[in-house]
Amino acid sequence: MTKKSKLKLGNGNRCERLHALAISETGFIFDPQTGQSFTVNQTGLFVLNGFKKGKDSETVSHDLADACSVPIELAQSSVEAFILQLERYL
Amino acid sequence: MTKLLWEPPFIQPHRLGEINKFGRMKARDNYVEHVFGVPVALLKEEFGSPCFVTSEIHFRNNLRNLKKAFERRYGDVIHGWSYKTNYISAMCNIAHQEGCYAEVVSAFEYEKARKLGVPGKKIIFNGPNKGKDILERAINDGAHIHLDHLDELNLVSKIASRLNKIVEVSLRLNFDTGFTEPWSRFGFNIESGQARQATRLLAASKNLKLSGLHSHIGTFILEPKAYIQQVRIMCKFMREIEASHDIEIDTIDIGGGLPSKNALQSIYLPPEQVIPPLSEYADAICNTLIEETNYRNQLKRKKPTLIFESGRAAVDDTQALIVSVVGNKRLPDGKRAAILDAGTNLLFTAYWYNHQVQMTRPADGPLADTALYGPLCMNIDVVRSSIQLPPLEYGDTLVINPVGAYNNTQWMQFIEYRPNVVLVHEDNTYSVIREREDLEVMCQQDRLPEHLKIAFSTTEAKK
Repeated sequence: MTKKSKLKLGNGNRCERLHALAISETGFIFDPQTGQSFTVNQTGLFVLNGFKKGKDSETVSHDLADACSVPIELAQSSVEAFILQLERYL
Repeated sequence: MTKLLWEPPFIQPHRLGEINKFGRMKARDNYVEHVFGVPVALLKEEFGSPCFVTSEIHFRNNLRNLKKAFERRYGDVIHGWSYKTNYISAMCNIAHQEGCYAEVVSAFEYEKARKLGVPGKKIIFNGPNKGKDILERAINDGAHIHLDHLDELNLVSKIASRLNKIVEVSLRLNFDTGFTEPWSRFGFNIESGQARQATRLLAASKNLKLSGLHSHIGTFILEPKAYIQQVRIMCKFMREIEASHDIEIDTIDIGGGLPSKNALQSIYLPPEQVIPPLSEYADAICNTLIEETNYRNQLKRKKPTLIFESGRAAVDDTQALIVSVVGNKRLPDGKRAAILDAGTNLLFTAYWYNHQVQMTRPADGPLADTALYGPLCMNIDVVRSSIQLPPLEYGDTLVINPVGAYNNTQWMQFIEYRPNVVLVHEDNTYSVIREREDLEVMCQQDRLPEHLKIAFSTTEAKK
């Protein structure tokens, strides 16, 4: 069963859970706490790595907008939705 | 810095059963830039999306191969072009130019065949609902009428009597071959004695003459042995009724049912591995028919003409559908989904086939399980429930095939216009063979009673 936990990434708190994840360069993720594995797409990997480096969601959104040449509003809303997904699974 | 391909960030959990040992297709190589020799981009620009594209040369070759396969083995063969499989006029006329009779199953199809100039003598009239007027026309035209039930037998008899004619008819039979689900709702059943009863009535009739037997044992038949059994049962019945009545059977019509190179949803292996070659079917049918009618040589009687009514096997792979991606989304379970501008309104066959779907550009990004939905406001409008595709972009063009059988006849006029159908000619030029519908076409049959002609006041309606 998936363990529910609040990551609170939106508030800038870097959850220890993220650091515990094993993340491959291709987007394969292993969660040692639950034994579950995941796949993230390339933008998801970009965002996760940003969080792991200690960046907040606002900074990560700007980085993502730059990296993909998309409007900042699109990147921000997508990162918010991604955080909701992470909270659902991790 | 290399730009990252935009796709909303997404995480998807792995689930038991999703990972398997089978290799994935090479995504980058699996794309097409041409359909039947014409650039897809050109067709889309000129005729819009969606758009059906059909190949004349493919269709002609398929028809010739089918006819040859049976003629070489048996000799006296008629191919009845199954109108219901694809009755776009140009397609019917290609079939007729290749020597096919018209095999029709309704008043509309009969009238269409006559409108296209098919002589009555080259029309095989099947189907369970032949009205009085169309039967009278068919009798006067000398069409081959295949009786489906007793009421129809009586009706034809009455019309023939009134016209003071002797009408040759065929009897549609149904029976259990042991291979396919019996199509017992059509025709007269052998096992229960209905077929013998109808034969007795016909033998006693002054105005009807039984000269042919017909049966259709099912659709997409993957076992050629089913046809061996069909021909044996029909020939056994033929010998029995010829022995007990003053009847001579001139035609044996084995219907259709030959499969095409399409992927049935219920079958795991690809069609190339599942579908027997045409030669196996032709061997099964013709060898059995020769064997079962050899007795006629001794009696110096002509063997019956073999009629087959293959539609799907002739036309399915001669048509593709060009479609466009109009939206992307992620389903709640993480699966990718795309919305196309064509769904089951145009691809009725998507309900039972896993149609091949190809990109028209090299894949960019990893493959993922994707659902393809159509434009209808119906949850069941699913073109593919699961297919490995790279990330799709708005406006991407996809090519779906084979789609030539039953879609240009079973398509729905539900909330969308039906699109252009284009034919690529033998010289690689192309033209529209059925024009896209518009508002005028959609409203053509509407009639507004006087009190319903105005719904809003003139000033309000202009706003």
